[in-house]
Amino acid sequence: MIILGYITLTIFLVTMVLTLFKKINLPVQTVLVLVSLVCLAIGFIFRWYNDGWTSALLLPNEMIGGIILHPITALLAGLFLAGALTATGGFDALKVLIDKLQKTPLGLAGTLVIIIELPVIASLPCGRIIAAALLPLLFAFGYEGGMGLLTRTQLVVLIGAFTRNAMGSCGPSPIGGVGQIGEGFLGAFFPTASDGILRSPQAFSLMIGTAITALFLKIISSKLYPNDVTLRDKPAGSVIDTGITKKSLSAPFRGYLSLIIFVASLLFAIFQPFGKMPVQTMLVLGGILIIVFCKASIQDLMNGIILLPVTAMASGFLAAGVLAATGGFSALGVILKSLAVVKILGVAGMLAIFVQMQTILPLSCSRILTAALVPVLYLFGPAEFNLLTWPQLAIVMAAYIINATTSCGPSPLGGGGTMGEGQMRAESGFIKGAYTFTSMAIMAPIAAIYMKFMNFSIFLPGHPEFGQNMAMVGVYVVIIIGLSIGMMTYVSRLITNDTKRNWQFQFAYFLISGGIAGGVLALAVYEFQLLQLFQGFVGGVIAAFLIGYMVPKTLSITRRTA
Amino acid sequence: MAKSSEKLKDFKKIPGARWRNDQPILMPGIRRFQFFTNVGDRATTINLNRLAMFSIATFLTVDVGKAIVNRIPQSIYCYECRACYGTQDKCPVGISYQAELVVAARVTDYSRFLRNGGLRCIRCGSCQSFCVQYLNLPRIFGTMQILTMKALRNGKIPKKMMQDAFDQGLVNRDFIDEVSSFLKAEDA
Repeated sequence: MIILGYITLTIFLVTMVLTLFKKINLPVQTVLVLVSLVCLAIGFIFRWYNDGWTSALLLPNEMIGGIILHPITALLAGLFLAGALTATGGFDALKVLIDKLQKTPLGLAGTLVIIIELPVIASLPCGRIIAAALLPLLFAFGYEGGMGLLTRTQLVVLIGAFTRNAMGSCGPSPIGGVGQIGEGFLGAFFPTASDGILRSPQAFSLMIGTAITALFLKIISSKLYPNDVTLRDKPAGSVIDTGITKKSLSAPFRGYLSLIIFVASLLFAIFQPFGKMPVQTMLVLGGILIIVFCKASIQDLMNGIILLPVTAMASGFLAAGVLAATGGFSALGVILKSLAVVKILGVAGMLAIFVQMQTILPLSCSRILTAALVPVLYLFGPAEFNLLTWPQLAIVMAAYIINATTSCGPSPLGGGGTMGEGQMRAESGFIKGAYTFTSMAIMAPIAAIYMKFMNFSIFLPGHPEFGQNMAMVGVYVVIIIGLSIGMMTYVSRLITNDTKRNWQFQFAYFLISGGIAGGVLALAVYEFQLLQLFQGFVGGVIAAFLIGYMVPKTLSITRRTA
Repeated sequence: MAKSSEKLKDFKKIPGARWRNDQPILMPGIRRFQFFTNVGDRATTINLNRLAMFSIATFLTVDVGKAIVNRIPQSIYCYECRACYGTQDKCPVGISYQAELVVAARVTDYSRFLRNGGLRCIRCGSCQSFCVQYLNLPRIFGTMQILTMKALRNGKIPKKMMQDAFDQGLVNRDFIDEVSSFLKAEDA
């Protein structure tokens, strides 16, 4: 069976890499479904040969078991509600409220920061729910959206940072978030892990990562791809002055009502005051209330549904299902464990690569690989291979989960980030550099550090040094951010018109940052042990090579057609 | 830049496709490039994409439909968040991966159910309070146990699969006699 695992894993990895590099010009759903069917056929033959017909006939069931219905239905419900909100003028009402809010002492900047952090505040089980609802609103802040409050560059940064925050907010969600997969496993040692041992490391690193994404987009991406955003600035001497904009900002009563219903359904979904119920139920209920009280039609609600991420997720789950059924993930576990034997990598280097695995291979939904790889990581701990102690496993899990949950952002295969790119009228791939960089170099190491110094004080008895540990987290975070911004500014100054040279600088920046991230992870896991620090650095560089290499040099020029 | 332009010239223009220069200059609110819908990036045959979409729809329907037909509709609501793994020592028979059992029940995956100790469950309900949805896990597992035993009687479960579960002590006393008889009959 292990041979079958290697075969199916190879088929999956090769086709995914070819698709990511656009060597296979097919929609991701088609590729994933074909991969699933081919692997299923191979698995069927193997099973029939080894175990007989009865066993082979059970294989399709095992594949379908890979489909995780929750993110698919949650996303559909969220999009459903967003469609209702759009049709009833809910976003117009929100525009008016934001216009009022920015005139308070909070100002425009404060208002925007709150909006950007809304996804992690709401922490819904899929970031696309809130992104689908609020991205059109963010577009409205620009000249083309009507409000004219932000310039083109500011709008790109705003949308990019918001989408970054959204495509990662599924991690810390207490209502079926991805992080709970890891928390479930850590419950084997930490008695209260299911209360949210991974939640604060993820939320904290996501907030910092969002800020660094904004900087990266402003300082590097907009210079690397200067002509690949087709948003327009307000022309000089434009007739649309502030006075006219103010007059145009109004909303119907039903808009306010639908907005209240929308917010109420989100709050009910998050806090569940009437007992436990699926988030989907509350969202659909909200949609029905909007139909009844705000005179929206079912057609309006259906208009909000975006099928691409739904089908991409479903096909990804199918592929993961067939890989699990045919032993593909077991083969991956064996390969990763064998990496630890290589002296230059060791366990520290292997882990530095492992935590970056989903950013290396960004798929449309992080759950596709997380559901399969978290059990592999769990086996590295005391449960099986004993490569890590329980606290070390928790640290690596924190870094892995934040890296995984943010991986749908940079995925060109129908990932959540494409929603942001579409909204900022940018080429596919525009935000990939910023998103992969922050996942790799900022969020993963910060989550590890946070887990080591902060969370053990709460979740592990005998670690009461809360104040001292808080100071340590502060110091490490300042160092990581400082190093990152320093290098980012330096690279930004080196950018010229030479596309290839620019990409090389960025690539080098990725390698160094990846190495540092790997080193920080090793530091968090093994403390000051030189060999492990070096191995972590090497592992980080290898991971960064794979990540940075896939960041596009140019965007529109690579198109075969216009 | 020059090299890239030459490269572009080498491509055969697809009928109906527009080159970069043919594009409208700027239209607010409209994306000029759509990877998944651009003519040049389309598959060689649209039937392949149709097959993919049909397959996805079919698998999703089967996934949901099976749970309803088998009278385990609650399993559809499972977030698969694995919060139930927190049960740990509170499970009297030491089942570690409750979510696996829920998924196995949803799609009637006997192999997954047996492997993770589904027939070992005594339906005490200790795991239920860990579920973020408070799904009726004992009922789900109980129904799947009945389905598994029915499948065993109908010869739908391979002997090796059941033998492995039996050898690892993954069958509780409610089912052990029947399983034991089945294995003996198979040996004979």
